Amino acid sequence: MPRRDAEYMEVDSDSDISIGDGTGRKGKGKEKAGDKRKKDKGKGKATEAAYTWEASYTRSWDTVQEDEAGSLQGAVEDWMARGRRRRLLAPAAPVRRTIIRHLVLLLDLSTSMLDRDMRPTRFDLTLQYAREFIVEWFDQNPLGQIGVVGMRAGIGERIGEMSGNPQDVLKAIADRHKLEPVGEPSLQNSIELARSSMNHLPTHSSREILIIFGSLTTCDPGNIHDTLDACVTNKIRISVVALAAEMKICRELCDKTAGQFGVAMNEGHFKDLLFELIPPPAQKALSRAAGAGATNPAADLMMMGFPTRLPDASPPSLCVCHSELRSEGFLCPRCLAKVCDVPTDCDVCDLMIVSSPHLARSYHHLFPVKPYTAVMSIADASVSIGCHGCARVFPTVALTGASEGLSPVGRYRCPECLGEFCSDCDVFVHDVTHVCPGCGK
Amino acid sequence: MDDISQASHLSVVVDLSPMHWDLSAREAPENTYPLSLASFLSQLLAFLNTHIACRHENTLAVFGAFPGKSIMLYSSSDPVSPSAEMHANAYPPFQAVDSAVVQRITAELDALELRDDEEEAPSALVGALAKALCYVNRITLPPSANSKAQANGFHPGVLPDPRILILSVSPDLATSYIPIMNSIFSAQKLKATIDVCQIYGPNTVFLQQAAHLTGGSYILLERRDALLQYLIMSFLPPPSIRRTLSVPTQEQVDFRAACFCHKNIVDIGFVCSVCLSIFCQPLAVCTTCRTKFPIKTLQRLNAARPLLATATATGNANGRPRVQSGAVLGANGGVGGAVANGAR
Repeated sequence: MPRRDAEYMEVDSDSDISIGDGTGRKGKGKEKAGDKRKKDKGKGKATEAAYTWEASYTRSWDTVQEDEAGSLQGAVEDWMARGRRRRLLAPAAPVRRTIIRHLVLLLDLSTSMLDRDMRPTRFDLTLQYAREFIVEWFDQNPLGQIGVVGMRAGIGERIGEMSGNPQDVLKAIADRHKLEPVGEPSLQNSIELARSSMNHLPTHSSREILIIFGSLTTCDPGNIHDTLDACVTNKIRISVVALAAEMKICRELCDKTAGQFGVAMNEGHFKDLLFELIPPPAQKALSRAAGAGATNPAADLMMMGFPTRLPDASPPSLCVCHSELRSEGFLCPRCLAKVCDVPTDCDVCDLMIVSSPHLARSYHHLFPVKPYTAVMSIADASVSIGCHGCARVFPTVALTGASEGLSPVGRYRCPECLGEFCSDCDVFVHDVTHVCPGCGK
Repeated sequence: MDDISQASHLSVVVDLSPMHWDLSAREAPENTYPLSLASFLSQLLAFLNTHIACRHENTLAVFGAFPGKSIMLYSSSDPVSPSAEMHANAYPPFQAVDSAVVQRITAELDALELRDDEEEAPSALVGALAKALCYVNRITLPPSANSKAQANGFHPGVLPDPRILILSVSPDLATSYIPIMNSIFSAQKLKATIDVCQIYGPNTVFLQQAAHLTGGSYILLERRDALLQYLIMSFLPPPSIRRTLSVPTQEQVDFRAACFCHKNIVDIGFVCSVCLSIFCQPLAVCTTCRTKFPIKTLQRLNAARPLLATATATGNANGRPRVQSGAVLGANGGVGGAVANGAR
């Protein structure tokens, strides 16, 4: 019994509420119950107390603590150590994710978007976050394509065609005067429009619809459940970020199509909900469930061509896609036809033409750099005086009181080439370059 | 005008593969314009001095890519030990660069000869590039508390548009495809420009892509006796001024990739839809993610494959004679060939 109590105390001291644990050592049962209640309450509060209208604000500067000397170094190092640990703890088992994604962004442009409960208005905030979302989405899904559809005045309106170029998509939603909210939204009309624009896609690409919905009503010409069933058969994932409240039909759309549903409580939460949808969704491990022998119907081998880009100054010639005279363009490697933009299917020989840098953007996920180990003492360190990457001179004295995962001598060693790196290079190599300067791979 | 007056950072990555420099130095029948390592170094040093002389605040770092090893030869933020004899007539910063670069190169090359391997390892261009990126990252970061203690009061200011100049003599190394691409993307994130000067040998596909994707210039040196002129005219001015100077632009950018299975450089590849690995021939199972592919796809792709084998075999030379491969393709008349025939 006393042992369990000690364990319990430890847990409690971890949580931020630690009131009255020294008082009643004798009444164990009571204290336990009481503590538990307090803890639950604390947790509930943390999630509940964040509605916009409750006007709470987070003081982010409070989370960074200065040390005695007034320096922020401790806080920064702590933060770095956390990053290191997260990397070390990252799941080693591979997760299969969809890489080639197609997404239709469905924006609510009904009058309810003019509400001011999110500042400046729901509409302006949505546009701003949509832009950030698109930029980040293309950064993480370089082979994906996004189309934009608006819901206003009871119809679905195509705002931007499916495009793999972030600039095209951003241009489509750049002009807010063209998107001025009007009338009622229609979920069914716009989902049908989005669905029809994804009909032709090959099986190995994902089809997704992301709805940003501010209204509490939908004005549909028919039975929306038919549309929902059609989406299920077409394997379209629908995710909804609601700005007002949960609607049954929205929840059902997401649940039946394996999408995500969320109601934004405030501006920050809205952004979080939106950005949660950026990382490629993990694909269901069909093959693992059905044994190793089963083939995954979504997996396929695709023949792709890597084109040659013609310079802007080359003599103009006709392109096969628009039959227009242009000087710049890409040559299909198989039939030498000239197309305007990649990625695309060659109009002549039907070869899928992609620019290989697009593919290469995802390779660091496949071949990550091994995590460096922290060198724990001067005696363990090698003779090199400077970082193997940036040549910064290592400190010659060991820091005291370095936290877990951090090297007191500021050296991190690559397990392959045994080169030693400074903490900045360690972070840079693993987060940005994904190339170890020592091994060259 | 502001651009001209601003200081800039330049990292130079020098490919010092002894074998290729030896090939490059051979006389007339093999090379129209032979260029030896010694004359290259003297021109390079003149270029480095010009960069320092342009502006007092300009910073410089030089990285050497030796067979299987890369080292930093010189950097302006780390104090160089003062050399024994200082010429009274030499400008000290010039002499510091010159002596540091020459000394370290000689030391490394001597060490190489001592080892005397039977086969020369390919030069570690990628490692040198990654080091250059780490260094750029270091100087673009605002000086942190760590560096304050040991940098002896020298704070390289945060300089705008850092540049990396790669002077390459080796051909493409297909095994380095992925690390080079990763380096390119990180250079893009650092807003660093990669310039490439291919001094000897054929065009390199990967370095071409590097220059293209980071907005730098790529030059295949034709008149190799005029190296210094190329360097000063096209690589000395920062990218912002180059538009006005109309620096030679890249003719064509070749977006070919290296396959994962045989490290061949391919223009038509087979790509796993799950992990996007590139293969040069249809496989039943992806070697990277172990996905099994449907047999139907394999049969379809195998039917189209013989054409590709000939196409890639003839198409990987310097000038990419793809028209020739097209002729083979038309004569073959397989599945894909029928389509292509219709097109012509």
